Amino acid sequence: MDTLQLLLSGLSEALTLENLLMAAVGALVGTFVGVLPGLGPTSAIAILLPVTGVLEPTQGIIMLAGIYYGAMYGGSTTAILLNIPGEISSVPTCLDGYPLAKKGRGGPALGISAIASFAAGIMGVIGLVFFAPVLADQALRFGPPEYLALMLLALTLMVSLSGGSFLKAFIMGALGYVLALVGLGPSSGMPRFDYGFAKLVGGLDMISIIIGLFAITEVLKGIEEKRVTTVIGKPGSVYPSKADLKQSAGPAVRGGLVGFFLGLLPGCSAAITSFLAYDLEKKVAKEPQRFGRGALEGVAAPEAANNATSSAGFIPLFSLGIPSSPPLAILLAGLMIYGLTPGPVLFEQNASFVWTVIASMFVGNAMLLVLNLPMVWLWVKLTRVPYGIMAPIILVFCTIGAYSVRNSLFDVLVAFLFGGLGYLLNRYKWPVVPLVLCFILGPLLEESLIQTTAMSAEGLALVLQRPISSVILAAAAVLLVISLVLNRRTQLRVQQERERGIDIT
Amino acid sequence: MKAYQIWSRFLLSLLAVLVAAACGAGGSQPQPQTAPADASPASASPSAAADQGATKTEPAYPVRQIEYIVPYSAGGGVDLVARAAADYLSKEWGQPIAVINKPGGGGTVGAEYALKQAKPDGYTVLAVNVSNTSMLAAGMAEPLIKNDDQIYTARIGKGTMAFAVKEDAAWSDFASFSEWARANPDALTWTSVGPAGFSAFGVAEWLDRIGGDYVKTRMIVTKGASDSVPKVAGGHAVLAIHTVGEINPMLQAKKVKVLAVGGEERSPFLPDVPTAAEQGIEGLSVFWWTGVSFPKGTPEGVIKKWEAAVAKMTSDPDFVKKLHDIQVEPAYADSAQFTQDVEKETQYYTELAEKTGIRN
Repeated sequence: MDTLQLLLSGLSEALTLENLLMAAVGALVGTFVGVLPGLGPTSAIAILLPVTGVLEPTQGIIMLAGIYYGAMYGGSTTAILLNIPGEISSVPTCLDGYPLAKKGRGGPALGISAIASFAAGIMGVIGLVFFAPVLADQALRFGPPEYLALMLLALTLMVSLSGGSFLKAFIMGALGYVLALVGLGPSSGMPRFDYGFAKLVGGLDMISIIIGLFAITEVLKGIEEKRVTTVIGKPGSVYPSKADLKQSAGPAVRGGLVGFFLGLLPGCSAAITSFLAYDLEKKVAKEPQRFGRGALEGVAAPEAANNATSSAGFIPLFSLGIPSSPPLAILLAGLMIYGLTPGPVLFEQNASFVWTVIASMFVGNAMLLVLNLPMVWLWVKLTRVPYGIMAPIILVFCTIGAYSVRNSLFDVLVAFLFGGLGYLLNRYKWPVVPLVLCFILGPLLEESLIQTTAMSAEGLALVLQRPISSVILAAAAVLLVISLVLNRRTQLRVQQERERGIDIT
Repeated sequence: MKAYQIWSRFLLSLLAVLVAAACGAGGSQPQPQTAPADASPASASPSAAADQGATKTEPAYPVRQIEYIVPYSAGGGVDLVARAAADYLSKEWGQPIAVINKPGGGGTVGAEYALKQAKPDGYTVLAVNVSNTSMLAAGMAEPLIKNDDQIYTARIGKGTMAFAVKEDAAWSDFASFSEWARANPDALTWTSVGPAGFSAFGVAEWLDRIGGDYVKTRMIVTKGASDSVPKVAGGHAVLAIHTVGEINPMLQAKKVKVLAVGGEERSPFLPDVPTAAEQGIEGLSVFWWTGVSFPKGTPEGVIKKWEAAVAKMTSDPDFVKKLHDIQVEPAYADSAQFTQDVEKETQYYTELAEKTGIRN
């Protein structure tokens, strides 16, 4: 079997010392940022993006992917022990995890969460192995009209994914696209919107904007909130008993399946699937009243789901170039910086890259299990680092990161301007993700638009005339409705839990 | 709080390591010792300064990472040559050379970055190519990048132009394809890195020789050969004009076929494919080349050093074999010869552009 062979050669690549090291560093840093309140995977990837520039593309992406799924693991630690969900996708884990911790069973809860995450992560990666090449086989059939339809699909879904007001998201997306227009035109080669500033001819730098909007904004928010953390007492061994494992096996598998299959739909985030998995377990449980008071199933299912979703998210990312969550949007930026434009052609032209990264995810998930079970107390202690120490360190990183891309202070200025902008946007509840995504995808959209109009006298009508692109457009419409409904549902659930007193940042 | 102290110390040391790595990424921090791992920067620098006969007043070069800007997508001919050269020269000089792809605007985006935004200190070098030099100057009324903006330092290699169509396309020879293109200019879609690139001049010269109408044909702008050839293989465009090496992967995969090559002789890499002249279409002279250039104001010592190093590199059998693997022929020219060739080309392409309507 061809795929298996590619995977095996990817595995042998992933097991080289350098790549193992990258996966380990990524998983370590990821867990670290997942555990630390006030630093999520999105800002961590944003800050480290320029740092990975010195690495080979494969190694850089292995590390960034490690940060992504590592943070997903790390998030559960604070959710269970401190009742602080690092991200919305960890909210369901708080519901039963924290009560378990209060009962002195925090250890087994952490253990189950790590094991469920591992099992689901592996499930997601196996799915990736079988599913992605199916799409990749169609690579050459994807021409400009198909890419145009894909871009429209990605942008529509991202607008809906950001939650909140559709209109606000749309306006932010438009702003992102306008910012992408600054600089040299991709097909004309002519400068535009530089207003006479020589610095603007090269365009605004993607990394500066990302660092500003995510990392610096996060620091500003943290300083304002005067973030403090408290750790509760020792909750016992992290190694779950046989009974615990038996109790959580079913929920973990079900959660993993929900997470994986819904995660395949571009636009379905880990937040959505972890809530769905939690609610599903509550429905199938014999004693649903146990949920919310410390049911182990209530930890296993959502943790499995959010990890399966994050692995599944790599399928639309690699094969179609569509990111289904903010960290993946930043990872997309990373791929493009390395000159690896995701899409069906990626599998054709960079097969060894794709399969090495996929194989490294097996390795990374196994490493995380090792990191999480015996070392969980190390991570918990890290949460005691006061924010007053963390904040300046993060800012130093942001400055170095922004500067190092083009060795230009102009980019640092841009990063801090966008940091301030992001803080204001956040305060008045304007979503920044559509802005960033449109900024990243804007040039691709423009390119496919121009190419499509150049292809024949039919121009844009081609998109509706060709089978693949019209199917993608129809799918975009259907997915938009589905994700709007699911998002609405997730928001209601978040609202309910917030009323019950969970601190959701 | 003993535990707290231990962990904050751990954290700070972790950060210190990462800061060092970040400085390496920046490449411009004046601390060679934090540059990314390489064999022996300390011992390489002084000897490198000496062997080029640099005077005492001239600073040693290179003492830190060099950025090698490729203004096209990864995987194309310019990119592959640049990667081979970066590999060779970083070993030669004991300093890392990072290849950075900045595609867009027919090569202008990357060229603008390397020649106008970066400091002219020798640490940013442009992978220069026929598309963003003579052709740009000829094809655009007001090009952003002009011949005067740069010091053409050394040419590395050249490549033969090949005409590729989809594997199952109806034409089996170049003459019948040319006949079709003459009769149906508005159905002729072809890929190019920009309105004034290698493919554009290749198409214009060919149509000029067969009496076709360039202005009526349809150009589809792509990011480079690695983006163009799949578009032809997938049937989204009719014709791709790229170098033999750039077309080779899709040719091997039997997704495209090559109807003819340009130039006076058959390509050594495609001995079975006849030239355009053999099929009755004379005078196709457009060819592809790549080399390195620096912004005006770059120290003389840097230019000399690169000139000498490229001369050595292109006569090294190992490097020539590498070029051969990517189907590029070595074609070294020193700065003076290189500049003269570019100027001669510019004149020819300007006339061609005015005649066919590329420049408008």
